Amino acid sequence: MKSVNLTVNGARRQFVVDEDRVLLDLLREDLRLTGAKQSCDRKGQCGACTVIVNGKTVRSCLTRVVKIDNAEVLTVEGLGTPENPHLVQEAFVLAGAIQCGYCTPGMIMATKALLDKNPNPSRDEIRHALRNNLCRCTGYTRIFEAVELAARFLRNEARPADMMPDENAGQIGVSHVRPWSILKACGLAAFSADVVTHGALEIAVVRSPYHRATLGGIDSSAAEKMPGVAGVMTAADIKGSNNMGFDNDQPLLCTDNLPVLGAAVAIVAADTQKQALAAAAAVKVDYEELPAVRNAMEAMADGAPAVHPGKPNVCHTAGQIKGDAKAALETSAVVVEGDFYSPLIHQASLEPEATLAYMDGSGEDAQLVVIGRSIWIHQHAQMIQDTVGWDNVRYQEAFTGGQFGIKCDLTSEGYAAAAALHFQRPVRYIPSLTESMWLTPKRHPFRMKTRMGADADGKITGLEMEMIVENGAYTSIGPGIIERALGMLSSGYNVPNVRVDAKLVYTNDAWGGAARGAGPPQANFALESCMNMLADKLKMDAFEFRRINALQKGQTTSNGQEADDWPFNGCLDKLKPEYARARDEAEGFKSDTVKRGVGLAGSSFGIGEPGDTSHVAVELDPDGGVSIYGSIADPGEGNDALLTQLCAHLMNIPRDKVRIFTRDTELVPDSGLSAGSRQTYMSGHALVKAVEALKQAMEETGAKTHDALVAAGKPTRYMGINTMSHTGMDQKTGQGMLWESYCHGAQLAEVEVDTTTGEVKVRKMTAVVDPGTIINPLAVTCQIEGGMDMGAGMALREEYVHGKTNDWHTYKYPTAKTAFDMKTILLETPRPNGPLGATGIGEFTLVPTHPAIVNAIEDAIGVRIYDMPATPDKILAALKSKDA
Amino acid sequence: MPETDPETNTETAGESGGRRRIVKRIGGRDIVFDKDGFIQNPSLWTEEVAQVLAREAGIQALNEKQWRVVRFIRRFYVEQGKAPMNHKIKVGTGLSLMEIEGLFPGGIARGARRLAGMPMAKGCAAGS
Repeated sequence: MKSVNLTVNGARRQFVVDEDRVLLDLLREDLRLTGAKQSCDRKGQCGACTVIVNGKTVRSCLTRVVKIDNAEVLTVEGLGTPENPHLVQEAFVLAGAIQCGYCTPGMIMATKALLDKNPNPSRDEIRHALRNNLCRCTGYTRIFEAVELAARFLRNEARPADMMPDENAGQIGVSHVRPWSILKACGLAAFSADVVTHGALEIAVVRSPYHRATLGGIDSSAAEKMPGVAGVMTAADIKGSNNMGFDNDQPLLCTDNLPVLGAAVAIVAADTQKQALAAAAAVKVDYEELPAVRNAMEAMADGAPAVHPGKPNVCHTAGQIKGDAKAALETSAVVVEGDFYSPLIHQASLEPEATLAYMDGSGEDAQLVVIGRSIWIHQHAQMIQDTVGWDNVRYQEAFTGGQFGIKCDLTSEGYAAAAALHFQRPVRYIPSLTESMWLTPKRHPFRMKTRMGADADGKITGLEMEMIVENGAYTSIGPGIIERALGMLSSGYNVPNVRVDAKLVYTNDAWGGAARGAGPPQANFALESCMNMLADKLKMDAFEFRRINALQKGQTTSNGQEADDWPFNGCLDKLKPEYARARDEAEGFKSDTVKRGVGLAGSSFGIGEPGDTSHVAVELDPDGGVSIYGSIADPGEGNDALLTQLCAHLMNIPRDKVRIFTRDTELVPDSGLSAGSRQTYMSGHALVKAVEALKQAMEETGAKTHDALVAAGKPTRYMGINTMSHTGMDQKTGQGMLWESYCHGAQLAEVEVDTTTGEVKVRKMTAVVDPGTIINPLAVTCQIEGGMDMGAGMALREEYVHGKTNDWHTYKYPTAKTAFDMKTILLETPRPNGPLGATGIGEFTLVPTHPAIVNAIEDAIGVRIYDMPATPDKILAALKSKDA
Repeated sequence: MPETDPETNTETAGESGGRRRIVKRIGGRDIVFDKDGFIQNPSLWTEEVAQVLAREAGIQALNEKQWRVVRFIRRFYVEQGKAPMNHKIKVGTGLSLMEIEGLFPGGIARGARRLAGMPMAKGCAAGS
C-alpha cells in the first residue's frame, strides 16, 4: 500500500491505495465520479476513461495511482455541470455529437486537453487528438464538428446562445437540443455500472471453454471455501424455466449440452469481483469436448452432429415465391450470379453488459428489482420472471450505452437476477468485454447463392436465391431475421419474379440476434451487387439501371406488397447530380496505383410489422405541463427529443413543461422495444392518440387546466394505443403485407483503393433519405451518419470470430482515423399513419452503405468482392486473380 | 389450432399452407391472431373472443375462477397499458399461482394471457 495525495476537480485528498490500483477505479469506486467509463477491460483501447492529469490526457484505466502522487486530476464532472456547463460540453450538445453518451465524457476531456494547447486545431489535428477515443454511434463527424465549435466558443468567435435554435420556430422540423444530452456531457447520466450500491455481491460466471462439449459434473467445493465467496449456484438452483431466450433452446445455466464456447454452467458470488473471478477459476468442471460444427455447411453435412440433440440443425425454413423466377431467368437477355457472404458481426456497443439486481422486501411479496441495459423492459421483466421463477419482477432501465439490436436479448440480467434471488442479497454483474461478447447475440451470417436477370432494355426479370442463415447455437429471433430479409428483399425495385429458399441453421458458434437492420442489410448486399453486375453486363450506367427499375405505383415488392407513392424514386432523382459529380471526379484517378471508384445502393426499409403494439399514456399535470409515460428507451437515437417536441407541439406548451418517464416497469405502459426503427412510428403515433384523447376531454368539458378537468369529473391521464393488425406474410410463399410504412433512400459511396496494399479508403458517403416528416433534423442526420459509419465497417473491416475476437482491437472498431466525410440530403414525404407524417430512420441508414462501398470498389479496380468484409488481403487476392 | 372452424370461420392456412397468422370471424368482426394464437389488436378483444379461444383450448365454458383471472388481466391491461406480472394476478384474484397455472391449458403465459387478449410482444421479432 502507498499513500498518495491527489487534487481531484479542485479538492485535495489523501488516499492509501494498492500499488496496482488504477486511477479509473479510484475515481469510480472511491470518489463515485462515474463520468469516466470502462469498456475495453482496462486495455487502453477505447478512451472512455479519459481524464486530464497535470494538463495532459491520460487513459485512467492504465494510470496507476501511485505513479501520479501530488497530481492535479480533472474529470468531466469537474469541468462543468448542467447548470453551468463548460463550453466544450455545450459544443458537444449543440453539435449533435452525443448519442448514447457512453464515450462522451472521454471525448470531451480529450477535446479540452487539445484546445488548451491548440485553440485552433485542423481537422487532422483533431483526428490525431481523438485517435484513442472510440465511438460507435456517431461516425465521428459530429464529434469533429463539436471540437471545432468548442474552439470557436473558446476563441470568442461564437456563443452557445447564438447556436440555439430559434424558440419561435416551433417544435417540428427544428433541431432543438435533446433533453438528456447535457446530462451525458457532464458525466451525470447513470449507466448500469454507475449505479451506486453498498454491500452488493459481485458475481462471476463459469463458462465452457469449448465450442461444443457435454457437461459431466461440477465440483465447487474448493471455490466455496475461498475468501469472500458467498456461494456457487448451478442450474439445479434455478426454480424457473432456466431459459433466457425467445425460443426454448438457451439455458441460463446449462445442465448437459454445451453448444457454444461461453455456455454458462455456474455462477459464483463473492464480496468483490476479484474474489468472484478467482473462485470461478477454481470451480472444477468435467467437460467432454466434442467435434463442433462451426458453419452452416458443416452443420448441414450428412452425419453432422446435432447442435441440440434431438433437434435438426436446419431449424427453420421459409420461402418467397412471386411469379415464375426460373422461367423468367431462362428467357432473360442477361443473367448474373454470385455466392455472396455477409459474416458474423458484432453490434459493438461500447457499454459492457452490466446489471444490478436485488430483492425489495421479504417473503413471497418481495419484488426482484433489476437495473440494467434493457431497451425492452416489460418483455425482459416477464422473461426474468419465467426464467428465474419469481413472480414479481420490476425492471428499471439505466442509461444505455449503445444498442444496435444487441440489447433486445436478455443477457446479464438473467445471471444477476438468478443470483439475487438465490443468495437473497443484492448482486452486481459486470462482465468483462470478452465475456460481454460471449453472452450477447450478433448479426447473423448470410450465405446467398443468387441469380438475377434482366431483359435487353435493362428491366429486371427475376431473382433466385438460396439463402442460408447461420443461427449459431441459439435461436433468439432467427426466424424473424429471415422474415425481415424476405420482406425487404427487392428493396426499392420492381423484381417481377422471385424465388427464395431460406434455411436457418444451428451451428456451434455465437448466435445471431437483432442487429441494426436485422436481415435486410445482409440480403441487400446480394441484391445491390447484382444490380451493378447486371448494369455492367448490359453496358448500362449503374444509376440509370436503378432508375428504370425503381418500383412504380401499383407495382409490388417481392412480398407482393403494393407500392404507395414510393418516395424511393425521389431519392434517386435527388442523388443524380451528386453521382454525376462523383463520377467526374473519379475519372481523373483511374490510372495510378491508387484508383478511385463510385458506387450506389438503395433501400426501402419496412416498419410497422403485424402485431406490433405500443401503449403511451399522457397526464395533464397541475402546472399545465404534460407527463408522458411509456417504455420508450432512448439508447441514443433521440427518442427524448421525439417525445418532447411532439408533445410540446400537439399541446402547444413549452418543451420544459413536457416530462418524460420511460425507464420503470412499475410506472410506464408497454411501448414495446426501442429497435426495429419502430419507436417514432409506433410510439410517436400512440403519443398522438393519447394527446388527442386528452384534448378531446378538455374540449368536451371546456377545461383549460388540470384542476378544471378534475372538477369536471374527467381523468387527467389518457392512453394511446397503436396497433398493427395486418396479416403479414405467408411463411412458404413470402407473400402478404408485412409493413405499414417504409423509409426510403439511396446512397453514394466514393472510395479510393490502393492497388499495392489493398487498402480501401472511403472518401465520402452521400445519403439521400426520405423519412417522412422530420421532427428533429439534427437527430435524424446523426442517425444517418452513424449508420453509414457502421455500414462502412461492415463493408471493409468488421468480422467477429467467436473465441478469437476478444476486444476492440481484434474487432477492428471504427476510429477517428477511419472516419470519412458525409453528406446527408433529407426529403420529407409525409407518411400516412406516422406521427405528423413521420416514420423511423434508425436502421435504414445502414442498409445501402456496404453494398454501395463494395460497388465502388469494383468501379475503382474492376474486381468484385463477394464475401465481406473487403479486407486488403481479399482485395489483393482478387486483383491477382484478375491479372492471372 | 384446427384447420377450419365453421363457427368462427377461422382461416388457418393460405394457399401454401404456410400462413403464420390466423383470421377468425368473431362477433361479426375479422380478428387477426399470430401463429401462437395471441390476438394482434388487443382493442378488438371481447369476452366472446375469450370464450372462442377457451373452446379451442378445450375449455367448453369458462368457470368463475377462470373468468376472474381473465377479467383481472383484462382490467389491469386496460388501465395500465401492460400485462400484469404474475404476482399482481395472484394478489388481484386471490388465487395461488399454482391454481391459476392449472386453470388454463398453457398456464398463465400461454393460456390466461392469451384468453385475456394480451398481445404477444412483437417488434423486430415477428418471425420468432
